[in-house]
Amino acid sequence: MKHQSCAHEDAVAAAARTGEWTSELRAHRDGCMTCAELTLVVAALAADAKQLADDAVPLPDPGIIWFRAQLAEREHRYRRATRAIVWVQRATIAVAVAVGLAFAPGLWALIGRFMAGLDLGSAVAELPQVADSPTLVLITSLLVLGGLALWELTAAQEN
Amino acid sequence: MDEAVFHRLYHRTARPLRAYLIRACGDLALADDLLQESYLRFLRSGFEGEDDDHRKNYLFRIATNAMRDHFRRKRPETDEVPERDYSPGHDDAVHLRSDVGGAMSELSANDRQMLWLAYVEGSSHEEIATALGLRAASIRSMLFRARQRLAAKLHSKGLHPDGEAT
Repeated sequence: MKHQSCAHEDAVAAAARTGEWTSELRAHRDGCMTCAELTLVVAALAADAKQLADDAVPLPDPGIIWFRAQLAEREHRYRRATRAIVWVQRATIAVAVAVGLAFAPGLWALIGRFMAGLDLGSAVAELPQVADSPTLVLITSLLVLGGLALWELTAAQEN
Repeated sequence: MDEAVFHRLYHRTARPLRAYLIRACGDLALADDLLQESYLRFLRSGFEGEDDDHRKNYLFRIATNAMRDHFRRKRPETDEVPERDYSPGHDDAVHLRSDVGGAMSELSANDRQMLWLAYVEGSSHEEIATALGLRAASIRSMLFRARQRLAAKLHSKGLHPDGEAT
């Protein structure tokens, strides 16, 4: 009996799976430890697989799997289609917040003066001068957009 | 892929795929969850394949990955399927109701998956390597050793080549 890789392994494995042995192959198997071992393993696994496949336990309903896949696909398509709209909305909010922040000191002064003397004319005239830094508006917008992008990326990875 | 084609593929592949998952993870309920997850991933991938065999191979690969992902989530430090799952819900009866199941449960996860794919599904070494994320060149020797280990377990349970127990 030899115990190493054998050139007849494929034929022996097929015969062990189907149970159809030629007399030559059977004789070879009986003299080859590798093929005897292979026969034992393949026949045992094939019998086990048949027993599991014949099991009466019902399979999950493929209709439900199909339905869940359709729902997931629809949600994915919806997200893809609305991504641009969501980004425009977020960008608008970011710019609005940035402009608001840039104007905040002027607005605060305006409110202070309004409360102090109700002299609205001069305060309104000063408002554009307070928000005279477009760089500040740009930086604030980029910061808010960056935060939103980071949030979007994190949410996408979690999904 | 339309619904009728999917149903046909499901009826052709679901039982063998479930048998593989049961033997690989040892838990009937988990095997059913992984089975559904595998078909969902398959449908979401949009994979068409050349024929049913090609689709079936792809499904087994997805199932192996789904099983690995499941155990990686449970135990983040490793992506290995455990040797035996003792968590609640583990179905000992699945392993113990047959001598082969009992012998398989004593092997490593890689051995179980490799032996099943090779000798039940008839997968090639390349297909096994792809499914298990291993090098194709090392499959032959790994399979040989796994086979020896299973044969020894079966011998110890009194099983012999012709199937007669002693």
